[in-house]
Formats: sequence, C-alpha cells, structure tokens
Amino acid sequence: MNGRKSFGGGSSSGGGGRGGRGGQTAQQGKDAQQRRPMFRRRKVCKFCADKIDDINYKDTRLLMPFVPERAKILPRRISGTCAMHQRKLRTAIMRARQLALIPYTAE
Amino acid sequence: MSRKYELVYIVSPDATEDQVTDLHTQVDGIVQRMGGQIEKTDNWGRRRLAYEIGRHKEGTYVLEVINGSGELMKEIDRRLKVFDLVIRHLVVRVDDDQEVIERTRSRRSEASRRRRIARGLPPDRLPGEGQRGEPDDDRDDRFDMGEDLR
Repeated sequence: MNGRKSFGGGSSSGGGGRGGRGGQTAQQGKDAQQRRPMFRRRKVCKFCADKIDDINYKDTRLLMPFVPERAKILPRRISGTCAMHQRKLRTAIMRARQLALIPYTAE
Repeated sequence: MSRKYELVYIVSPDATEDQVTDLHTQVDGIVQRMGGQIEKTDNWGRRRLAYEIGRHKEGTYVLEVINGSGELMKEIDRRLKVFDLVIRHLVVRVDDDQEVIERTRSRRSEASRRRRIARGLPPDRLPGEGQRGEPDDDRDDRFDMGEDLR
C-alpha cells in the first residue's frame, strides 16, 4: 500500500521496511531483462506497519535506526517511511538533537 | 488557557544533587506563582551527551510536565537561559499531539472491533488468537550507534 512497487516476482519478505539497501537495483532497467529478475525488498513504512502513533523525541531507541553513521536523517526513498511519518520523525529527530540525545553529525 | 508542556533541561555535570533539586524548586516556584502546576517530574539522571555542549560531555537530564499558560512557559524559558548551571533546555507543547495520538488509537481499535463484529467474532481479540507475529525486528542493530548514546 504505502511502499513502492517491487520489480519482478513478488518480493518475499513483508517485514520491517527500514531496509538500508535496495538502491543499487534502480538504474538497471534494460539489463534487467537479460539478467535474472531483480528482487527488491518491498519497503513499508515502519510506523504504519508497527502501528506506532507516537514518534517521540525522547525515544532514542526508536529514532536511532533513522540516523545512520553520519547522523543524517535517513531519506524516505531509502527507509520507505510514508510522508506523514517522515515529517513527524523529522521533528522528533530535530528535537532530540537539540537535547544532545542524538548527534547533529558524526566526527 | 491552560496547556500542557514538556520541559527538559540539562544540568551541568558539575552540579551537586542539591543544586539539581534546588533548580527544580525554583522552576516549581515560578510555576506556582504563575498559576500552573507540575504534573510530573522525571530525573533521567546523568547521561552522556551526543555532542559536547560547552566543554561538557555529560549532563543530568530533568523532565517536567507542566500544565500552564504560554506566558508561564515564556517566563521559565527566559529564566532558564540565565542559569549557568542549565546548559541546555527545551520546551515543547504536547497537548495537541497527545490528543491526535489518542484519537488515532481509539479510531483504530474501534475500526478493528467493527470489523470483528461484522465477521461474527467477539469484539476483542482473545489471547493466542490470530496469526503469530513475525519475529521482532527491533533487535536489528544495523544502524545502532553503540550503547553509550542510549
């Protein structure tokens, strides 16, 4: 529903949608016909899937997966988060940063 | 007009326990004086900061949930800026968001009950009924950044 469409046959896993991968399959449209069909994990908004209503700036456990090594906010295109939740996530992360719960940047 | 706010402030690690409680009483004093009330206080204790503030690497976090007016919070904000012991603070209004969360939650459970009744099932899910959930994905540590930041 919320995720992007998946190429080829149905991707098997339905689970958590925060996959940090999948980018490399994008630019191979033509080649894909000759090669094996590409399997791409279907991305689902984690907050919709897990029914997390409250994206709270105090909950570092929840936010940490969305700020990988460089401490930048993981883009929607990669995490698969829906627009509404990405917005809420953003405010939460920015508040947590002010309170030094999450870094602005990694050294 | 009373609203609900959350105030988090970080006290310098050099401060003693007494100074932290003293700070709390000061905040309480302002709140009392301006006709608000503190709903909850939570001392998170000493935590590592994600980055240095000033030259501090640690700090004591205190959370206060306050019912009061915007004027009151403005005053508290102004006062906290002055205290040298408070190295960072944040005021967030929460009542609206909580209401929205409450509403989505109740709407969801209501919808599920309606669907269950339509299917001729008891409105509430019985223990052990339905599909087994997938194994918990929370253990995924791909993006975790180490224990010390928690």
